[in-house]
Amino acid sequence: MNGILNWILWLPIIGMLGVILTPKDQTKTIRLVTLATTTITLLLSVVLYLNFDITTAEMQFVVKVPWIEQFHINYFLGIDGITMLMTFLNALLFFICTLSSWTVEKNVKAYFALLLMLQSTVFGVFFSLDFFLFYVYWEVMLLPMFFLIGIWGGENREYAAIKFFLYTFFGSIFMLVGIIALYYASGKGVDSFNILALQGGKFTELTVNLFGTTFSFEHLFFWFMFLGFAIKVPVFPFHTWLPHAHVQAPTAVSVILAGVLLKMGTYGFLRIAFPIFPQAAVDSADIIAVLGLISVIYGAFCAMAQDDVKKLVAYSSVSHMGFVMLGLAAMTTQGMNGAVLQMFNHGTSTAMMFLLIGILYERSHHRWIVKPDGSKGYGGLSTKLPKYTTVFIIGMFASLGLPGLSGFISEALIFLGIYQRFTTITVIAVIGLLIGAAYLLWMFKRMFFGEVNPETEDYDDMNAREVFYMIPLCVAVIVFGIYPSPLLDVMKVSVGQLVDLLAKF
Amino acid sequence: MIDQLFGFLSYYVPEIISIVLMTTLLIAEAAVKDVQAPRIKIHVFTQLVLGIVLINLFMNLDEKPLHIFHNAVTIDPFSTLVKIIMTIGTMGAIFLSHFSKDIYPSLKSEFSIMAVGVLIGGMLLASANNMLTLYLGIETLSILSYVLSSLKRDDATSTEAGMKYALYGGLSAGVALFGISHLYGVFGSIQFVEMITGLQALEGLNLAIVMISFLMFFVGIGYKISVFPFHMWTPDVYQGSPIPVTSFFAIVPKMAGLAALVRVSFVFLSEGSPLTISWIGLVLVIAAMTMTVGNVTAIGQTSVKRLLAFSSIGHVGMMILGVVVMNEAGVQAILFYGLVYLFMTLIAFYITSFLSDMYGTDSYDVFRGLIYKHPVMAIIMAAVLFSLAGMPPFSGFIAKFNIFSVIIQKKYYGIAFVAAINSVIGLYYYMKLAKTMIFSDPQGSEKVIGFTTLNQAVIIILFIPVLFLGIFWDSAMALAGNASIFIR
Repeated sequence: MNGILNWILWLPIIGMLGVILTPKDQTKTIRLVTLATTTITLLLSVVLYLNFDITTAEMQFVVKVPWIEQFHINYFLGIDGITMLMTFLNALLFFICTLSSWTVEKNVKAYFALLLMLQSTVFGVFFSLDFFLFYVYWEVMLLPMFFLIGIWGGENREYAAIKFFLYTFFGSIFMLVGIIALYYASGKGVDSFNILALQGGKFTELTVNLFGTTFSFEHLFFWFMFLGFAIKVPVFPFHTWLPHAHVQAPTAVSVILAGVLLKMGTYGFLRIAFPIFPQAAVDSADIIAVLGLISVIYGAFCAMAQDDVKKLVAYSSVSHMGFVMLGLAAMTTQGMNGAVLQMFNHGTSTAMMFLLIGILYERSHHRWIVKPDGSKGYGGLSTKLPKYTTVFIIGMFASLGLPGLSGFISEALIFLGIYQRFTTITVIAVIGLLIGAAYLLWMFKRMFFGEVNPETEDYDDMNAREVFYMIPLCVAVIVFGIYPSPLLDVMKVSVGQLVDLLAKF
Repeated sequence: MIDQLFGFLSYYVPEIISIVLMTTLLIAEAAVKDVQAPRIKIHVFTQLVLGIVLINLFMNLDEKPLHIFHNAVTIDPFSTLVKIIMTIGTMGAIFLSHFSKDIYPSLKSEFSIMAVGVLIGGMLLASANNMLTLYLGIETLSILSYVLSSLKRDDATSTEAGMKYALYGGLSAGVALFGISHLYGVFGSIQFVEMITGLQALEGLNLAIVMISFLMFFVGIGYKISVFPFHMWTPDVYQGSPIPVTSFFAIVPKMAGLAALVRVSFVFLSEGSPLTISWIGLVLVIAAMTMTVGNVTAIGQTSVKRLLAFSSIGHVGMMILGVVVMNEAGVQAILFYGLVYLFMTLIAFYITSFLSDMYGTDSYDVFRGLIYKHPVMAIIMAAVLFSLAGMPPFSGFIAKFNIFSVIIQKKYYGIAFVAAINSVIGLYYYMKLAKTMIFSDPQGSEKVIGFTTLNQAVIIILFIPVLFLGIFWDSAMALAGNASIFIR
């Protein structure tokens, strides 16, 4: 079983080479190669789950090969409970995205090659336990995203692609400074790009001189890392790239962006920023909670004001990721578990929303709830598209946290966790839920009820392919809404270890 | 005595071959009958001989370092590696000159002759072990460079470039010489070895004189590597010169100047030198300004040649950070950076040159939609641009990582902060070019004439190290790490 992570990580690259070697005009073969690759990857991640030992917080399936001797850099992979969930989510969403991208006609070969490359790099970020390797994957991930948004995106795609790229790069370059500073602070001779070896609050005593001012090493570099991860999440006020990127990106890329890439930010907090700088994390919990709260409320209000349905869902992502930040800031068992669960659940529910919007866009070629000229974009869809409406209802209610669907459990856990620490913030954050329900239901009313808009008369309902790839997500939001234990059990021990560490500071 | 001299000469084979090559080329050009004909034989011959020089240099890499010609010249792995980089750069520029329309057919051999001449000056500079050799190196390098930059002689910008280069160059060389003569006055010697011992005993007025004259001397080198505030000539000269010349300038004189800067810094600023502290402060400021000026000014450029000129200023700003730390790791970082920079610069100029020959201009527009016409070339160019910006998995990232690593090791967090901001600015303008190439629709559908199979093959071969050194950089780092400096 030991090499399985290697297989999961490199299989998409092998698939990518397969796609590149296929002649350009054989689009069907290209799609099938991609589908085969993502299917095998999904199966492998299921195998991984079945072999996963949930009783230990140790890293599992570890692969460690020396890479650069001089800097003690290793090719070092491993997963714990948190990354197990993310691995599965990543494999599942890419499988679904391959199917949803079946209708892409522009430059098919490059599209699928980049999609597979993206999958591999995302796996790389989640698997890396070596800081250098982590950084390389974190950055390389930007390249396929840049091209996917820039070539296959909407009319304003260049701006969105550049903004996305620059923003993330800006955050991560500071992370690089932090990584190197950690390397030298940890003392040479040890394996000091090793993320696990750096964890545990080893840098509380050090100080740093920057521009003539003395800072605490731990606090300064916590904020450097914070910047890198907060931009990725995105936390208010670093969220401004997200609506552009989402609106301009093609459907599958939006799904991946919201479904997995945003989770890399919160994953960074869980794996790196919190365990390596626990003192600074505990000290900054208030600020993180307040920023999370602003993201929740502000994101929700922004969503309410949108006329573009995709932008609405994009802002709802800001709001929902704010809940994750709140759960992290709580630093309690329930809060942390809720946050990780919310990462997974938001991945499935928001993926549903973006896929559904993509399906509708293929029929209408616009995304306006209310067109700029004031006329209705849709209306009365429920009478014409029964299957679509059913799936939409499931996705929407999962998003707004209806009991019985997945969003509810994670949000409830987050509130349980955070109430013990920040009572006022909890009370205000609940309003965020309310606004969330309001904008989603209002959107639903305007699009699906009321008079049938003549423009929507000839829309076809979901076809077999579309129904097929929505099923796994519907099943996920319903099953994990009623019975979340399979997810909670996997991450419980790993999250517990982090909570115990933070409790010491 | 004679035995000794010939013994020394055996270490000097690369330079001797180059000199012989230059002379042979001079004679050969005189024998050419049809001045408009392509100089295929001459160019092939030049490449072959330079290849022999390269092999010779590689063989010298493992030799023990030593001083020859009465301490005038040092042969150490550091200078040998710099010479390797310069020789490859010269070969690359000569290859480009063969195909470029920017150089008149009748002047193709002249370009090779003078490029080899500059290379000889650069080699002298890289292994200079006293002030006089160093000055000789600078002058050999410079005078031929002035001619090279005005090679396109009926073009106003080219002659302007030559004029500007000569004026600036003459002035700064004069200032440097003035500084050197004062240094001689204080130390009573021009030998680096003797200066090191003399430095320890300096105090009072003599120290002040040394500080000021060292600063003057720095003007000469600073001008050659175009650091702020001596960078003003760079954009105009780069833009005015024919593209092969520009690509040559971006590599050979820069590397030679950097090598001289590193060696001189090791002489004057070694452990316990009274100059060290004030000097480090100065270089930090200069590096920060060089980077920032280079990168910020690059944003607004519309000519790709100018863009590359400004970006090369930014890269030099990064490289001299390796000088500030004054240790072996810093030298290693500079050498690795230089090696990577060599390949990235060559590819960027090759592709720009072929496109600009085709359309007669070097604005961003010639890159429009290149991906639809020449996908492989466009992908390589994009990769090189991202590498220049310091994105993994390309070697530009490793080069940047090494520089960051050495400065953070010495706890210069402030400059690391500045360098980080500069990386972001750099990414922006490189990305703008990559964007034009890949996201825009093509300008016409005709293929680019310059991208023949041979040229594409050469570009792909040059691209291999850009990619390879980004992932497996262990051995190249070891090579750069072994290239220690030998002074005493």
